[in-house]
Amino acid sequence: MNELGKIHQLIIPFLGHNLTFNLEAIAMTWIVCGLLIVFGLLAAYRKARVPGPLQIVGELFVSQLFSLTEDALDKEMAKKYGPLICALFMFLVLSNWLGILPHLEEPTRDLNTPLSLGIMGFVISHYVAIKTKGLKAYVKEYFEPIFFMMPLNLIGELAKIVSISFRLFGNIMGGSIIILVVSYLTYSILLPPLLNAFFGLFVGAIQAFVFTMLTLVYISVQVK
Amino acid sequence: MIADGQTLIAVAAFLGGGLAMGLGAVGAAIGEGYTAAEANYALSRNPQGAGDLFKTMLVGQAIAESASIFALVIAMILLFSNFGSTSLVTASALVAAGLSMGFGAVGSGIGSGLPAAAACGGMARQPAMGGRLTTNMLVGSAVCQTPSIFALVTAFILIFTDFSKEAVNPAWAAVLGAGLAAGLSAIGSGIGGGVVAQASCEGIARNPHSQKQVINIMLLGQAITQTPAILGLLISFILIFKQVEATDAIAPGIALLASGLCMGIGAIGPGVGEGIASSGGVKWIARNPSFAGNLTRTMLVGMAVAESTAIYSMVIALALIFVV
Repeated sequence: MNELGKIHQLIIPFLGHNLTFNLEAIAMTWIVCGLLIVFGLLAAYRKARVPGPLQIVGELFVSQLFSLTEDALDKEMAKKYGPLICALFMFLVLSNWLGILPHLEEPTRDLNTPLSLGIMGFVISHYVAIKTKGLKAYVKEYFEPIFFMMPLNLIGELAKIVSISFRLFGNIMGGSIIILVVSYLTYSILLPPLLNAFFGLFVGAIQAFVFTMLTLVYISVQVK
Repeated sequence: MIADGQTLIAVAAFLGGGLAMGLGAVGAAIGEGYTAAEANYALSRNPQGAGDLFKTMLVGQAIAESASIFALVIAMILLFSNFGSTSLVTASALVAAGLSMGFGAVGSGIGSGLPAAAACGGMARQPAMGGRLTTNMLVGSAVCQTPSIFALVTAFILIFTDFSKEAVNPAWAAVLGAGLAAGLSAIGSGIGGGVVAQASCEGIARNPHSQKQVINIMLLGQAITQTPAILGLLISFILIFKQVEATDAIAPGIALLASGLCMGIGAIGPGVGEGIASSGGVKWIARNPSFAGNLTRTMLVGMAVAESTAIYSMVIALALIFVV
């Protein structure tokens, strides 16, 4: 029980500030990236008309997420932002599933990972908005319906980052805490595998999808 | 009566455990009862499907109960753990953990009963769709649990963080406010998420061809419905981890407590309201999938407006923490 919430940090003093690195989150993120690159190479290694099992899985990911992107944005934009959505979903789903392996933990359990991904989506959506609507129309939207609503509109936009990142973080963190505590209370008999299946695989996949979907919607709301 | 530190902690732990399980039993029971009632209706409508219906009802009820089981886990930990600290802040944190988990389980318990009920009703109408309805119900109910999981995370942090070095006077109110913010704000989002999932189960039973779109919109709607609960979680994290200065005055402490109450109570309405807005979107997309784009946009804008009151609460809560 004592390992609950303990993390290894590397603190480096730099120009009067302390730079803090959460080592587990960094290492796990690299593991996820490595696994995804290996998967991508293997899936695309010997492309054939009759696809092998890995190629099928890869094609499934790409085609499903592309059609999702096309539904939300139009065809032209889907070509541009489809790969982003694909990569985001595959990264998140693998991150959320990583915790079911012993000695590994989800990088999304560290608030920094969802928060940076959330900020990424936020920046991209606003970049797209300025690019398609022009700066003037974009700024004008903040002063609607009445000009003094501007601060509240601004806070509403910033609340999007909070909500998207805390949702993922809370779910993954909560799941891993429940698994840890129940394993401790039952001496790891019987219940933990079921809990891992529910919180690790099921909730992990749903939350990865929700995060991807919300990023996509944030972009599409800004465009239309 | 001697109230030394040890006794105080024990009293607080018992109080917290009782509150956690007592309040935690409210929601799930209502949700499960609703499911069973709808299953009876479905059975009388389509007696041939009794076996499947019975299974769906039990699975749905089991998921609705998980919020209560979280409360049970917290109550057990509070009752049977040893807490080394003797600080008043720790005592307050234990009560707050109980309040957080107890209130947090109410919404998710009621909410996740609703999709199970709609799935039972839908199976009577469309027995061939049983498998897909069950999947949809499982996804919807699982996402419904999210607010109670947030309350659980807060409760764990309150139990296992070492508060003994904090300044007693404002800190006792800060942790109590944190528990109330996370717990109360989970009520609305839990119920709201359930209403959305209910609409989607009903919609799939009416129009099985719309299933793919309906599941996507349901997840989207539920995710946005959780925003008030997430704002509550944010405020409670700020209240827990903010360094407070020791003071003899009563006002700073009460401001922190009020901040938690403001965010918690202020999030109940938006959670339910967004759920209703989103359930409308899901329901009509199921009947008329060809207008999904327009309906989704209207739904999203409506939800954003309904959410604005939660954002007002957050602004006031932040002002109470940082300005007053």
